[in-house]
Amino acid sequence: MSIVANIVALLVMPVVIVGTINRVKARWAGRRGPPVFQLAFDVWRLARKTSVYSKVTTPVFRLGPMVVLVTALASACIVPLAGIASLVSFPFDFVWFAYVWSFGRVALMLGALDTGSSFEGMGASREATFATLLEPVLFLVAGALCLHGGVRDFTGALVGQLDGPSAVVMWGAAIVALVIVIQVEAARMPVDDPTTHLELTMVHEVMILDHSGPELAMLHLGAAIKLFVAVSVTAMLVNPLAGQHTIAAVAAHLGLCVLIAIALGMIESLIARLKLRVVPQYIVVALVAAGVSLLTMLGRGGHA
Amino acid sequence: MVGSGLFLVSIPVLLIGACLAAALRTNTARGIAAVVTQGIAMLLVLVSILPILARGAEVEITWAWPAPIEQIAFRVDALGAFFLVWSLPMTLLGTVYSLGYLQPYFHRGRNGGPHFALLNLTSLSFVMIYSVQNALVFLLGWEIAAVAAWLMVIWDYRNQKIRFAGFNYLVSTHVGLFVLVAAFMLMHSYTGSMDFADFGKYLRTHPPGQGTLFLLLGISFALKSAFFPFHTWLPRAHSAAPAHVSALMSGVIHKAGLFAFVRFTLLAGKPEAWMGWAVLVFGAASAIFGVLYTATQRDLKRMLGYSSTENVGIAAMAFGIGMLGWAWSDPVLATLGLGGGLLHILNHAFFKCSLFYAAGAIYRATHTIDLERLGGLARSLPKTAVFFVLGALAMCALPPFNGFVSEFLVYSGLLSGAAPTTEGDLVLVCAAAVLAFVGAVGAFSTTRAFGLAFLGTPRDPSIHVGDDAPRTMAVPMAVHSIGIIVLGVFPAAALAIVEPVLALFPFDVGGAHPIDLADVLSPVVWACRGLALAFGISLLLARRRRAGARESVTWGCGYTAGTARMQYTGSSFSAQLSSLFRPALPVVTREQLPTEPFPQHASHLSTHHVDAVERRMFEVLGQGEEFVQETSSRIPEQPRFAFAAGLLALVVMALVAIGEVL
Repeated sequence: MSIVANIVALLVMPVVIVGTINRVKARWAGRRGPPVFQLAFDVWRLARKTSVYSKVTTPVFRLGPMVVLVTALASACIVPLAGIASLVSFPFDFVWFAYVWSFGRVALMLGALDTGSSFEGMGASREATFATLLEPVLFLVAGALCLHGGVRDFTGALVGQLDGPSAVVMWGAAIVALVIVIQVEAARMPVDDPTTHLELTMVHEVMILDHSGPELAMLHLGAAIKLFVAVSVTAMLVNPLAGQHTIAAVAAHLGLCVLIAIALGMIESLIARLKLRVVPQYIVVALVAAGVSLLTMLGRGGHA
Repeated sequence: MVGSGLFLVSIPVLLIGACLAAALRTNTARGIAAVVTQGIAMLLVLVSILPILARGAEVEITWAWPAPIEQIAFRVDALGAFFLVWSLPMTLLGTVYSLGYLQPYFHRGRNGGPHFALLNLTSLSFVMIYSVQNALVFLLGWEIAAVAAWLMVIWDYRNQKIRFAGFNYLVSTHVGLFVLVAAFMLMHSYTGSMDFADFGKYLRTHPPGQGTLFLLLGISFALKSAFFPFHTWLPRAHSAAPAHVSALMSGVIHKAGLFAFVRFTLLAGKPEAWMGWAVLVFGAASAIFGVLYTATQRDLKRMLGYSSTENVGIAAMAFGIGMLGWAWSDPVLATLGLGGGLLHILNHAFFKCSLFYAAGAIYRATHTIDLERLGGLARSLPKTAVFFVLGALAMCALPPFNGFVSEFLVYSGLLSGAAPTTEGDLVLVCAAAVLAFVGAVGAFSTTRAFGLAFLGTPRDPSIHVGDDAPRTMAVPMAVHSIGIIVLGVFPAAALAIVEPVLALFPFDVGGAHPIDLADVLSPVVWACRGLALAFGISLLLARRRRAGARESVTWGCGYTAGTARMQYTGSSFSAQLSSLFRPALPVVTREQLPTEPFPQHASHLSTHHVDAVERRMFEVLGQGEEFVQETSSRIPEQPRFAFAAGLLALVVMALVAIGEVL
């Protein structure tokens, strides 16, 4: 059941999450908003188009979107997408998770630099800079969760039990850190504004300015999968039924994913984006939160 | 035993090759003499050491020698064999590469003989360092490697900067030598012997001596391997040397420092926990500072040089975990740490040599390695671009390439929660976060280096791009690139030579290995294979444009008069990161800004990222940059090869004299 549920969730949920966020934002703006499955229509339409390539580009440009999609899928295999278990799980699989994400990011940045556009270079530089601060957050959180549960794999770390006040602090801090990770990695507000029209202030959007047709479809899909994977990780932490092989656990997980998407949509509607030079400080908040969640281990007394 | 005799035959073969290289009349003949003799020596050594790695047998030969050495014990155990088995072939590949790389110099009538002879001597020094058991002979090998590397660095000696770089290296490496001599003298005064086995016996029974020696040797080996803050010679030397010399220094020669560290850890027996922590923290500092400096360099080879500091730092972190595991009597942690460290040394040799070779191919084609002036090389140098990108991806430890596998072992050690106290566990998790930070900055730097040099459009129209790498240069790069991929998806091949080394360490209580590293890696390696397959398919699909695809200009955001100079440059790419880490990354800014509404003078602005440690060192010495100017003007232009030979003779005589006195 778990395998089927994972695959179905992977096929459906990325589109739903993006659709929900857009729908919530539209509601706050007083519009009806696009259908929830709009992303699927967009991807299908783009996939049938022919591409336009810049004269400057090399095969790196065409390879980039494929790598983004492949790495997004590779990271999705590690995370329990339906709240039960992940498709693949092995000791320290979150190291693999972080590094395939990193690979996807490198591929996207190289594709951007391949166009020779100064705006795209700007976006790549920002993305790379933010990533340097963000990467340790993942390891601190994963390390804290692993030490807490005495486990070594991502799924095991995410289904840990809350025993005692220090565990609650750890759990809360981990969620704060992970939400910021989602906002940065998936290029959401207040770090990056996916709907902005000014290239100078873009991060993720500016790197895909020159992609078109199937390449753009792959990038949209890859970004949506990454967003869903990150939301799913957070939902696992919140879900009290996580890890149980029941329909209720699956339903609770998927419901929580949608709730998190609604929360993200509300944050995006209610908060203005941060100034670019403040973004690193915002990521440091995640770093501090992750550090706090690790330090709570000291309060537990005795060796796990 | 036949094999053992063969091993020693390699020494005269290499010496004959060096003499031939110096004596023959044409550069081609000299080069071929060096390649052939190194090839023969390599085969001889491999034939004699492969049984060691396969069966754990050890080759042991003792030569009677005049006083004061009395006898030289050659003993190749699995540790020495591990280093020999790739050092010699890689030096041979470097020599093959030099045939192509130095071709333009040969056309201008330059004599390559001494250079080829020095490459042979470098191989010779490996045979000595990795096999002898006598401190005096070890120092001799150490010194041959250092002086040979110095003379190879100053190949372009007419350039004052390069002479200064060589001088700087020579001084640093000898400071390290003095500390090493001090350590050996101390040991001699305790044991009355110069034999490593006697050192080991003493150290295992006298723990205080172990601590003193640990510090002395640590400093010396840190200088050799360019650990932060002992790395100041490195960026200048790597930027000045010919590409193959940089590659060999970074990938192969300076691994001797790490070898010596492991050798003495093995001799000294079970370490104390503070030593493990010290090595871990020291390694982490090297990794952080090394990688931060890679992010801001303009000079591609300088950037690769700093990345060596980063990677030896990662290897030291791994060794630190290994020592902690040993100290805590946790054989699993010890195996993960030491195994990961050794594997990382090997992996680093593969990708770093490849990257330096690619940088050399860029230099040969464009006569510059300044990232601010390059651009769009992927179209004019397609072969080099492929080799460079493979090395770059491995350097930032991305799966499915070899750098990832060894870092995964290090992560497995750091995150296993194996420390005896909770505090210890927390520090180890923080070290994992440090490693993650290093990986992310590494990704930043490699993206920047590859993206700026190979993608986009050429930034400086005055640069004429010549031919792509000739076959003599492409073959070594191809061999290294294949190694990067094969060791990434089949690390068992590398583990086969790492595991015999781990078997030497007495940290397991039972007989067999506590864990099999191949088992630890097995799931992630299957994941890597899957990813490699997916990338392979993507590559096939992306190779050609789909039919019907249209071509246009890059979207200029409404601006139609964009020029190549408006692209993002190296400095602009790293501006935000360098401002975040300003205390560690000082910038020297020279500017003349416009003052009036109608400025009468041309204004200019230049920023220069300098090395914080080197800057501080020169400040302490009294002058800032002037010190560099002044010293380099005092170094004579003509290379005194007689002086170098004299220096070498002096060292040998000094060693003999030391023995006489003792």
